[in-house]
Amino acid sequence: MTSRPLLAEVFVRGLYIVLLVASIWVLLRGHNAPGGGFIGGLLAVAASAAYALTFNATSALQRLPLRPAALAAIGVLLSAASGVPALWSDLPFLTHLWVELPLGIADLPLSTVMVFDFGVYLCVWGALGGYCLGLLRALEEAP
Amino acid sequence: MVHSVGDQETQRPDVLLLVLALFPASMFLVLLYALITQPLPWAASWTWVPSLGIDLTLWVDGLAAQFLLLITGIGTLVLIYAAGYLAGVTGRARVALLLLLFMAAMIGAVISDHLIVLFMFWELTSVLSFLLVGFSHEQENTRRSAQQALLVTGLGGLALLAGFILLGQIAETYSIQDLIARADRFVGDARLSAALLLIFAGAFTKSAQFPFHFWLPNAMAAPTPVSAYLHSATMVKLGIYLLARLDAAFSDLLLWEVVLVAVGTSTAVGAALQTMRERDLKRILAWSTVATLGTLTMLVGLPGQGAALAVATLFFAHALYKAPLFFVAGNLDHGAGTRIIDQLTGMRRYMPWTAAAALLAAISMAGLPLSFGFIAKDVLTIAKAESEVFKAVSYASVFVSGVSVAAAAVAAIHVFWGRDTVPREAHPHEGSWPMLFPPLLLVTLGVLFGLAPTLVDPILGAAARAIAPGLDADAVRNAYDATPVISATLSAVLIGVVIYRNWDRMHALLERAHFLDVLGPESWYWRKLAFLPKLAAWLTRRLQHGRLPGYVLVLIGTCSVVLFALVGVTWPTWQAVEVSAPELPVLLACALIAAGALATLFVRDHLVLLLVSGLVGYGSAALFLFTGAPDLAFTQFAVETVFVVVAATLLVRLRRAPATASSALREPVLRPVALVVSITFAVVLTALLLFVSAQPFDSTLSEYFGAQSVPAAHGRNVVNVIIVDFRALDTLGEIGVLLFALLAALPLLRLGRGARSEAT
Amino acid sequence: MIWVVAIAFGTVIAAGTYLALSRDALRCVIGVAMLGSGVNLLVFASGRLQSHIPAIVPATQTQLTLAANPLPQALVLTAIVISFALLCFSLVLAARIVLERGDADLEELRFAEPHAPEGYKPSVEESQ
Repeated sequence: MTSRPLLAEVFVRGLYIVLLVASIWVLLRGHNAPGGGFIGGLLAVAASAAYALTFNATSALQRLPLRPAALAAIGVLLSAASGVPALWSDLPFLTHLWVELPLGIADLPLSTVMVFDFGVYLCVWGALGGYCLGLLRALEEAP
Repeated sequence: MVHSVGDQETQRPDVLLLVLALFPASMFLVLLYALITQPLPWAASWTWVPSLGIDLTLWVDGLAAQFLLLITGIGTLVLIYAAGYLAGVTGRARVALLLLLFMAAMIGAVISDHLIVLFMFWELTSVLSFLLVGFSHEQENTRRSAQQALLVTGLGGLALLAGFILLGQIAETYSIQDLIARADRFVGDARLSAALLLIFAGAFTKSAQFPFHFWLPNAMAAPTPVSAYLHSATMVKLGIYLLARLDAAFSDLLLWEVVLVAVGTSTAVGAALQTMRERDLKRILAWSTVATLGTLTMLVGLPGQGAALAVATLFFAHALYKAPLFFVAGNLDHGAGTRIIDQLTGMRRYMPWTAAAALLAAISMAGLPLSFGFIAKDVLTIAKAESEVFKAVSYASVFVSGVSVAAAAVAAIHVFWGRDTVPREAHPHEGSWPMLFPPLLLVTLGVLFGLAPTLVDPILGAAARAIAPGLDADAVRNAYDATPVISATLSAVLIGVVIYRNWDRMHALLERAHFLDVLGPESWYWRKLAFLPKLAAWLTRRLQHGRLPGYVLVLIGTCSVVLFALVGVTWPTWQAVEVSAPELPVLLACALIAAGALATLFVRDHLVLLLVSGLVGYGSAALFLFTGAPDLAFTQFAVETVFVVVAATLLVRLRRAPATASSALREPVLRPVALVVSITFAVVLTALLLFVSAQPFDSTLSEYFGAQSVPAAHGRNVVNVIIVDFRALDTLGEIGVLLFALLAALPLLRLGRGARSEAT
Repeated sequence: MIWVVAIAFGTVIAAGTYLALSRDALRCVIGVAMLGSGVNLLVFASGRLQSHIPAIVPATQTQLTLAANPLPQALVLTAIVISFALLCFSLVLAARIVLERGDADLEELRFAEPHAPEGYKPSVEESQ
């Protein structure tokens, strides 16, 4: 990929940000409308893949917050950790808890289930993104 | 053998083995004391594996006590003998340890009342026998013999286990004593014959009965103390022991009587013939042991109380004369360096004590008056007279006795008193005291019991009562009639003398009878053994051919067959498939899926194939969208897009790589076998789907999730709530799988420069 | 309505199996992908296609009524993601095979199981 249309570069840079924001939005609305961690994560993977195809896989890997394996591992740990507070309340592991955080204007509902879903999101992004980008990078390096 | 003549006089008895002999010796003394002071039977029980209903129940009656005396008593003498015989031999400590373990296994086998526990100890003796026979494992021949002993007795053991389980099911108990007590309740059961035949297979392999007898003479590759202990006095009697144990329950069955008498008699006759074909003293003794075991089997099969007494007496007598004869063979091997009888004559000049032991043991073996063997023969004759056996069995028995007399004469007279005509390089020498004390003690006991049978009367009577409950020893004794005994002894001695005088001629005659080798069960065994590796190699080449598509074919084919069987069984309960007009969007989505799938079959180019197969994914996404599953549609759409884009990029770049320019694969467009398998698999799975949808639907779970989603989990998207809340632990596992799949692929993903240069 | 889905499902399974039985590694991977899609259809359809209303509780209610069955959807959703990971893994393998060998012929793929010589072990007679 020696020659890249400048327009495409600019477009994809913007698209990357948009897709990531959209993926977070899908993740957050997931509990009450179609969406959730898996779908949000897949959107993020799509963002990374689009970036890698336009530029190259190595720079797409660099745009990830962490290395793919670390991202996936943190996701799994976060999900597992979201089940721990239930243990303090003598409930079974992964029983989710809710807290209403008053912010003056409206109450912000917080819950361990959001942490869990965020973990799923990170894991999907890390694992599947790692696969796609790794695959593309391997071919770039191949003779 | 492991010895050479000449350097043995300097070797001193092995102290370790003598010390180890103290274990069985003290057990023997304790047992003897207990037998005198405590009335039999002794019983004890512990719970062992409650879930399987296996209790560790011990039961010691006369039969077990007799065995215990032989196991510990002869065990002591065998260890003492080994201290002399194996002095200076590498691995003697191993033999001693294995012998002690074997002793423990034997004790366990004869005192356990539970069939399965008995089986465990039984198998343990087989395994230990394998290790002991294979002592000189540097020799090919020894290894083959050990393997043979293990395979024959091990396979018999499996049959025995099956028989025990079946018997336990029939009798509803695994306790031998309970079984005997309630025998009359289940003797009519049709499955009993099968159970007994399986048990026979186990007992016959262990006790070297025809047609499983051949392993025993080959097991003579073992060191002499092992042969004397395992293959004469104890282990090979275990089969007879089991039959005698069960005799009280089944002695009235025709099957029991016919099989035991027929097999026992044919074993005895066959072994007597084989005795005369051998020139190795130890193998002569082995075959005569097989003959005695045959006689014992026959006696167990005979009904009547005299037979029970005869079994107990012959057990005892045989141990008292056969073990010393094995010791004698060992002394000859040790002192003269050979066991071939042609090279052994006039040995009494060199080995006077061994000669004395041989003579006394031989007299007992021949059943001459004033020996314990005579008492045994006495009781045996009574038993046969009492139960009116067929004439053929009777004649066979006389013939076997005659051969036994001749074999005894060979072992004693020919070897020790014959004219010394063989030139020798070195002088044979007498064994050390540990090699003389055991045989001399045993033959002395034999003479003592022969002169005063009342000494062993209590134990033999108790043993006989265990075999045949309600035995009245006095009644047997009162019915005693001297005439048949004398005539039997006389005819046996006569036949024995004739055979002995013509031993060489008969040997030469029988030696030529090769058909015995070709037709015998042993040649069958070797053929089967040679066939096994060939079969394994053939099967391996068939199953593990290394062609991946072949493996997949077998996997899918097997799945199809199994699923077909499962679905096919339910065919009669099928309801008609509901055929209603579909909604248009669903119809379109399904048409897209089917069209995409069909198109893949006609596309050759990889890139086009990938794009066409994407239709299946997008079609599924559309189907999900129109059937109330927007989450699924979204997910499928995203996955399909990413997959197609990444894979397409991959294909384009692979195609550009110079190394793969000529990667066009010449595979036929139509592959009939694959087509048939695919269509079968698809039809079976489609039938499964239709079958499932025709069943009544249980919506309990879905309704629960639908009802609880908002109140309990504060979420309105029920699908997401199930994933992250109700079944969160599952999801945690699944993302764990994702993580580990990535970790597993990391080395492969670095397939660029580093890995490639390392690999090549 | 189920019969339409069943026909589509059967076609996908047949074509997927046929591709998976190919000697060509890349066709094999695509076949496996189609088999995955097919099985997802099977699970989804066996939960019944009773409604086209998504399984989302309306804001005015607290219970799900008259909506599609949410349980198979949850199962299939995770299955899609996991089968995607599996596909990526197969794709990595196939790509590596092509790069290592220059072609993707699975019949000739014998890194782990080289061609066996005739007879693995001497038979009993031979060893005597």
